[in-house]
Amino acid sequence: MIRLRAVFEKTGRAKYISHLDLNRCMLRTFRRSGLPVWYTEGFNPHPYYSFALALSLGYESICEILDFNLNEPLPFDEVRRCLNSVMPEGMSIRSVSEPIRKVTAIAKAEYVIRLTADDPERLSGDIERLMAGENILVEKKTKKGAKIVDIKPSTEIISCKASGNISELVMRLPAGTQTNFNPTLFLDALKNADTEPFEILGVCRTAILCENNEIFL
Amino acid sequence: MLREKIEKHLLSVQKPSRYIGGEVGSIVKDKSKVDVRFAFCFPDTYDIGMSHLGMKILYSLTNERENYWCERCFAPGEDFERIMRENEIPLYALESLDPIRDFDFIGFTMQYELSYTNVLNMLDLAGIPLFSRDRTDELTQIVVAGGPCVCNPEPLADFFDIFIMGEGEEVNLELMDLYHEMKSQGASRRDFLRRAACIEGIYVPQFYHFYYNEDGTIRRMEVTDGAPETVRKRIIKDLDKVYYPDNFVVPFTEIVHDRASVEVLRGCIRGCRFCQAGFIYRPFREKSTEVICSETKALCENTGYDEVSLASLSTSDHSEIDPMLTKLIDYTAGERINLSLPSLRADNFSESLLEKIKKVRRSGLTFAAEGGTQRLRDVINKNVTEDEIMNTCRIAFEGGYTGVKLYFMMGLPTETDEDIVGIAELAQRVADLYYTIEDRPKGRGVQVSVSTATFVPKPFTPFQFEPQDTREMIEHKQKLLLDSVKTKKIRVSYHDPNVSILEAVLAKGDRRLCNVIYSAWRKGCKFDSWSEYFRFDRWSEAFDECGIDPGFYANRRFSYDEILPWDHIDFFVSKDFLIRENKTAHRGETTPNCRQRCSGCGVNKHIGGRCFDQTESCI
Repeated sequence: MIRLRAVFEKTGRAKYISHLDLNRCMLRTFRRSGLPVWYTEGFNPHPYYSFALALSLGYESICEILDFNLNEPLPFDEVRRCLNSVMPEGMSIRSVSEPIRKVTAIAKAEYVIRLTADDPERLSGDIERLMAGENILVEKKTKKGAKIVDIKPSTEIISCKASGNISELVMRLPAGTQTNFNPTLFLDALKNADTEPFEILGVCRTAILCENNEIFL
Repeated sequence: MLREKIEKHLLSVQKPSRYIGGEVGSIVKDKSKVDVRFAFCFPDTYDIGMSHLGMKILYSLTNERENYWCERCFAPGEDFERIMRENEIPLYALESLDPIRDFDFIGFTMQYELSYTNVLNMLDLAGIPLFSRDRTDELTQIVVAGGPCVCNPEPLADFFDIFIMGEGEEVNLELMDLYHEMKSQGASRRDFLRRAACIEGIYVPQFYHFYYNEDGTIRRMEVTDGAPETVRKRIIKDLDKVYYPDNFVVPFTEIVHDRASVEVLRGCIRGCRFCQAGFIYRPFREKSTEVICSETKALCENTGYDEVSLASLSTSDHSEIDPMLTKLIDYTAGERINLSLPSLRADNFSESLLEKIKKVRRSGLTFAAEGGTQRLRDVINKNVTEDEIMNTCRIAFEGGYTGVKLYFMMGLPTETDEDIVGIAELAQRVADLYYTIEDRPKGRGVQVSVSTATFVPKPFTPFQFEPQDTREMIEHKQKLLLDSVKTKKIRVSYHDPNVSILEAVLAKGDRRLCNVIYSAWRKGCKFDSWSEYFRFDRWSEAFDECGIDPGFYANRRFSYDEILPWDHIDFFVSKDFLIRENKTAHRGETTPNCRQRCSGCGVNKHIGGRCFDQTESCI
């Protein structure tokens, strides 16, 4: 059994594929590809594959991680081409490699958020002010119910550029098996902070990182 | 651009992937190179419409033609409809995301009566005039319909320019070819409709006029514009040669039947007297094992589905069922594909067949007994005996099944209370049978599910003349059945009688019902087949306002010699035969199946010979 890790993008119309649907979609993609995918050996054999992180419905990404197994070794590039020839529009494999780290090494993710506002310069100022505050308290829904958390200590603003009426915000948030903060939490806090009114044009996950900010692979 | 407008709101609706296209297998063309555009509309939501096999066939078939482009369109859910109306997003097709009002053809498939109001709602959302008479005289926006319900097109006649009778594989392209030719000549809509009416299988309702007697029955019909007096349905003669798609559009979101589907036969040899499909899809034609297997393989490989189902009215009536399944299971088991066989009959359910089925599925078994007593089963020509039902259940129980589902109909012609009690008694005997099986699963009880539907008389069946039970009668019988069941091992389910009543009215109605449907839609009726949306009170108001008595259509016996609203439509089965069968039913006598003996239904006159080879041995 050969373990493989693919990095794939999910953009355009594919952003409307929910995580649950993505599972089914991937199963069919594997079947269409004709690749010698490894099946589990239990009572109900099925191809084994898993996504390192779930992506919210409506978000794009250029860095999703898919782990799967093959029965026999094949050149990485052939596997990539094989899958890409049967992928849905908006989804494509960027690279295939051997997995290096365990999925538990994932610590954060980087997002590019495009916002539109009448005065994006002012919006940038608002974002700075929000980050300069004592804390950013948001309500986070968990399986055990809603609780109030402070997302400020773990929120990193990398850049915030304005051009025309568009503001492009690059930020990093905790992701992985321990803590997961969705950019929506930050955007909701921003909206509630009585700022320059804005609309979200799109969110794209651009990197999945380890604790030391290295790209997870 | 419409796409931006759509995407702006997509994240605030349920299951947005239903509204944006881009699925694997969907076909996108360069519209500047396309001559005729066809919007294939299913008058229900994506989840339901995407499960419909006919759409998949005609979609792929049309798109095989380079210069024709067929796209898909469904009814939006209530949440998205509200957004569409608020933001002036017209109903659009999923491949191009272009408004369907700009298409050459807007085609609906009419699969069930309770989808009629959805057609009006979709036309309205599209910005297309609801009534055919209000549409432009330009040659564009031709609104057409096909599917089983249009065998009686009259209740929908005012809304459609054209109805397509029978199987669409050939006639759809003929119609599009004519349109293409006449469009380039600058013809008007009316010119086109006149020529179209001369194509076999095409019905242009505006050329047919009805006059009524004082008692409400039809006095006569007048035909204008050179249209034919009767419109004959179209059929495909050789199923092995007809086009079948080697790929489906594979949805992202889960749909009702989320699997590959291969048609194994059309028509039915049985002639159950209540069953419309059993008559309107005649003659019986089957695909060869070889073709079925190669189509299965192609579909599974191209779609990536890990489940395939065999589609037919009665799969076990295929003359090569055993070798076919052996060959299919060889392939599907090797590829880890689940094979599903939805339509098996209780009387030819052999042990070897069960052995095969057990290999492929572990879910429940369902048998349609239809009637609770032998007398009633003879009346409806459901040629299944109690011995056969019990034998099948025994095989199933011995094979490890602990539950069976039994289908019955209620309100059948000549039915008495005794027949209703008979349902409970039959279910009880099936439950008792389980405990006589020696190697039944240890420590597990039996579950018999009794599912009852209310009989709806349908056109082109021997019961087309029959009145439906009134609501009071249906409610009485439902209560009687519940009271007759003495054990929790038997679970009974039944339908809202109002639903069945409306189905009967819309199935047997005439052209005067168009206004009722329009009025009901105006009052907010849509998704009538969804219990959470069904509002019979609004339908009642619509009937009252239009001065139409639903009982005239549902509860009245139509006489043999009256002009029926669908008499000018020819589905190959003769009215004389239906009358003969109706009389035979009332005598409580059965009619053998088509393989055993030809009963002269009239179909063979249209296919130039016998449906079955005489040298073929009888089953």
